[in-house]
Amino acid sequence: MSNKRKVKAGWVTGFLLLILALTSCQSSEELKREQFYSEGYQLYTLHCANCHQADGSGLANLYPPIQGSSYLMRKADLVCIIKNGLAGEIHVNGKTYNRPMPANPKLPDLEIAEIVTYVNNTWGKDSTYTPTDSVTAILTRCAVK
Amino acid sequence: MIALLLATGILACDNAPKRLPILGERDAVTKEVDGKMVTDTVYNTIPDFAFVNQKGDTVTQKDVAGKIYVTDFFFTSCPTICPVMKRQMIKVYDKYKDNPDFMILSHSIDPDHDTPEVLNKFAEDLGVEGTKWEFLTGDKEKIYDIGQGHYLVTAKEDSTAEGGYIHSGAFVLVDKDRRVRGMYDGTSEEGTQKLIRDIGVLLAEYE
Repeated sequence: MSNKRKVKAGWVTGFLLLILALTSCQSSEELKREQFYSEGYQLYTLHCANCHQADGSGLANLYPPIQGSSYLMRKADLVCIIKNGLAGEIHVNGKTYNRPMPANPKLPDLEIAEIVTYVNNTWGKDSTYTPTDSVTAILTRCAVK
Repeated sequence: MIALLLATGILACDNAPKRLPILGERDAVTKEVDGKMVTDTVYNTIPDFAFVNQKGDTVTQKDVAGKIYVTDFFFTSCPTICPVMKRQMIKVYDKYKDNPDFMILSHSIDPDHDTPEVLNKFAEDLGVEGTKWEFLTGDKEKIYDIGQGHYLVTAKEDSTAEGGYIHSGAFVLVDKDRRVRGMYDGTSEEGTQKLIRDIGVLLAEYE
């Protein structure tokens, strides 16, 4: 084997390793998203769907929809509201709602991340998962209630 | 031939007169009528009541006289099964709201918080107008008593429960003689559809 050939083989191996590294990296990311999504679905059903409904459409003028809500794009607000609840008037999709949402003080950061992953991948624009440490960071900055 | 028999069987089933059972405890009472001893069955019957609705008006047994009605127990700040029950009850309401012989009575089990004003706002936000669907409040003990004693449901305070109250998710169907004729799972689509069918069966008894 000539030197030239050796170099070429080295490049090919390197390239193959790079591809392998990239795809395995991507699939662990994808795995995480799927795990957060399916856990998030269970948690949404348990904690949120009573009022916001399984299809995220809300209930009449009582409880606002999640589907199409601009709150999905305000992730910091979303995280803080899930944890601390909400009181007072809010506007969602052109309608006014004014019923308190209970706080969920017992929800760990991981589960909040899973719920946020679920709602944002279902009704928002996210195609990735929301990491737990980002939720932890947001929670330290929530307005004190 | 088999097919014919089968078809006859199915048709016979469909044509059999349906009658809903009468639920709750019953007693046999023996009394003297015209010098003879007669034994009669006394069924569980909803007693006279007086509660206040979302308009601030008093609602009594006179308002359900000559009507069948569906009843349930809830509270407006309930974080658990009530929103699901109300979503299902809307389907029942939409189906029969134009029938003059039909009503819905939803009792609050948190009457201290659920004043007529609070109930009125709740009904409005739910999209319910008028008083075909009554949202009732009143004396807490009387609401719990009629619920547990006569409508055969669980309804009481419990500080360990989420929201502070425990209550069943049942929809209760009551006939014109104020007897319980059906209990349905108001948190499920299946239970709600069965109720909608049985309301039709019960109404047909009076045709």
